[in-house]
Amino acid sequence: MYIRGLVNKIITGNINIKNYLSKLWYIVTFSRASKIGFTLLGAITIMAVFADFIAPYNPYERVAPSFQPPSLQHLLGTNDLGQDILSGLIYGARISLLIGFVAALIGTLIGSSMGIVAGYYSGIVDEILMRITDIWLSMPTLLFTIFLAAILVKTRLPMVLSVILAISLTSWPSVARLVRSKVLSIKALPYVEAARAIGASDLYIMTRQILPNVSPIIAIEVVMRTAIAMIAEASLSFLGLGDPTVKSWGMIIHYAMKRNAIILGYWWWFIPPGIMISLTVLALFLISIGLEEYLNPKLRR
Amino acid sequence: MRRLYSSIITFFAIITIVFFLARLSGDPLAELADDPRITPEVLEKIRALFGLDKPLHIQYVDFIINTLQGNFGYSLHYSRPVMEVIGEKLPYTLALLIPSITLSNYLAYRLGIECGWRRGRKFDIMLSVLAIIFRSVPYFWLAIIFLYVFSVELEVTPLFGALSPGKPMFEWSLDWFIDYLWHYILPFSVLTVRATLGLIPRVRSYTIDVIGEDFVVTGVAKGLPDSYIKSKYVARNAILPVITVMGMRYAFLIDGAILTETVFSYPGTGRLVFEAIYNRDYWLLQGAVIILALSVIIVNFVIDILYALLDPKVRYR
Repeated sequence: MYIRGLVNKIITGNINIKNYLSKLWYIVTFSRASKIGFTLLGAITIMAVFADFIAPYNPYERVAPSFQPPSLQHLLGTNDLGQDILSGLIYGARISLLIGFVAALIGTLIGSSMGIVAGYYSGIVDEILMRITDIWLSMPTLLFTIFLAAILVKTRLPMVLSVILAISLTSWPSVARLVRSKVLSIKALPYVEAARAIGASDLYIMTRQILPNVSPIIAIEVVMRTAIAMIAEASLSFLGLGDPTVKSWGMIIHYAMKRNAIILGYWWWFIPPGIMISLTVLALFLISIGLEEYLNPKLRR
Repeated sequence: MRRLYSSIITFFAIITIVFFLARLSGDPLAELADDPRITPEVLEKIRALFGLDKPLHIQYVDFIINTLQGNFGYSLHYSRPVMEVIGEKLPYTLALLIPSITLSNYLAYRLGIECGWRRGRKFDIMLSVLAIIFRSVPYFWLAIIFLYVFSVELEVTPLFGALSPGKPMFEWSLDWFIDYLWHYILPFSVLTVRATLGLIPRVRSYTIDVIGEDFVVTGVAKGLPDSYIKSKYVARNAILPVITVMGMRYAFLIDGAILTETVFSYPGTGRLVFEAIYNRDYWLLQGAVIILALSVIIVNFVIDILYALLDPKVRYR
């Protein structure tokens, strides 16, 4: 809704773009956490988008003998198939970010709609939904993601899709819980009552009055969930539940482990992808901390 | 008593979810059916053996009865009942998890209070930054780094396993115990370091809240020494968040154990999950999921009772 409104305003020239940009800039430079976070994420995103220009080799092609240590031609050496590890790392940014973001988006979408419906209608729907989320939240998340992924992998779905589904289907309950508690407080506000008094339908109230008010926390949740989904994707890939034909950062570590790179001491194979995952996740966490501080002045120092 | 009911309901909910997820994915014998060596007649026999020819609701009832009897089917890889395999591995994992959760909770409690008490000072900032960095590092990668640094580069710890090859499963001797500890120390450290740093921010923010409470202000106004306020007023209250999230921490540690045991080839239930995936040993995975979920439910139940004993405000009927 919000985005459509924004697009409409831009089309009709009813908006001061400069104003919006300066507001965005304000959020980015708001705190030290968000400054560091946005810079890091920006750098990694640029790397992912322009991988074709940055990467020195095609990561899926044999370009040198196997198991080369780092050299000037291959800054991070080569793997068992003679592929350039640095190029794999650069292309991996694309896949890891994409899987993390899509999984987070689906999970947040399911979670927020559940949360809004549960919070708005309360009663039996709410009761059942909250029971499910309670059970879900007390369970080991990764264990169930593994279980779900192992089942989905057996179906004829593409591997990447089953990984995304497994992650998003196990991440929605905590989002639902968070959104629901926010909806409960908004529902009690006078303008919602006013809208109901003039005969607005439930759907109208949910989409036009409640959604815009919970969208900031949903936005933070997407950022946060992307970070968590990236770790989940890496863990699944590491355990051998990822798509073996796609080079995500987790998959690179999986292959390194499989070829005994650790015992053989090939640090250039398994340390850099871990650093990349950690940096990206750190950037996302910092951004979500920054956004939270921006929205909730109480947290500011 | 009410807690007991809800624990039982949770358990049934979990096995229901597991059952339907498992069946929704299609024929569990699909892989066998693709095998050219297996004729349709044999497949029918296997199907009847596993009870897969019955209608869904009867299968569901059978599944619940079997689960309650501890019958999780047959591990295709180990060629033994699933329950037997898990029973053998579970002690290793529990011996890893329980000391780890105890120590990490204690450490996080003490350090978290210190952080909250010295809010904004060097000690607090250092630990808070460390905590957020460690939160971003994937569990398995942390374990890999530990393994690489201590076992490969420094060669002070073993590369894999829970015991040196040739050692018996258990023996009453100092020699056995030292060997066990030597293998134990790395996976234990990874789990504990990560769990401690994950809990510190929570204790810290709760401590800051407590410091803002009226009774603490009163204590200061009375002229009580800082150390007295810290230990008697603040620390006593800060124990509550540690206990409330203990169940969640346990569930989180299980996730950690799956990854850590895989990296260190530690023969626990976590490693079993990995092996089950690797060998497509479907019944084993399902059994491990149910057993681990059950252990979470039991831990949560025990914690709730502990909580009622510790906090007089909460009383269960």
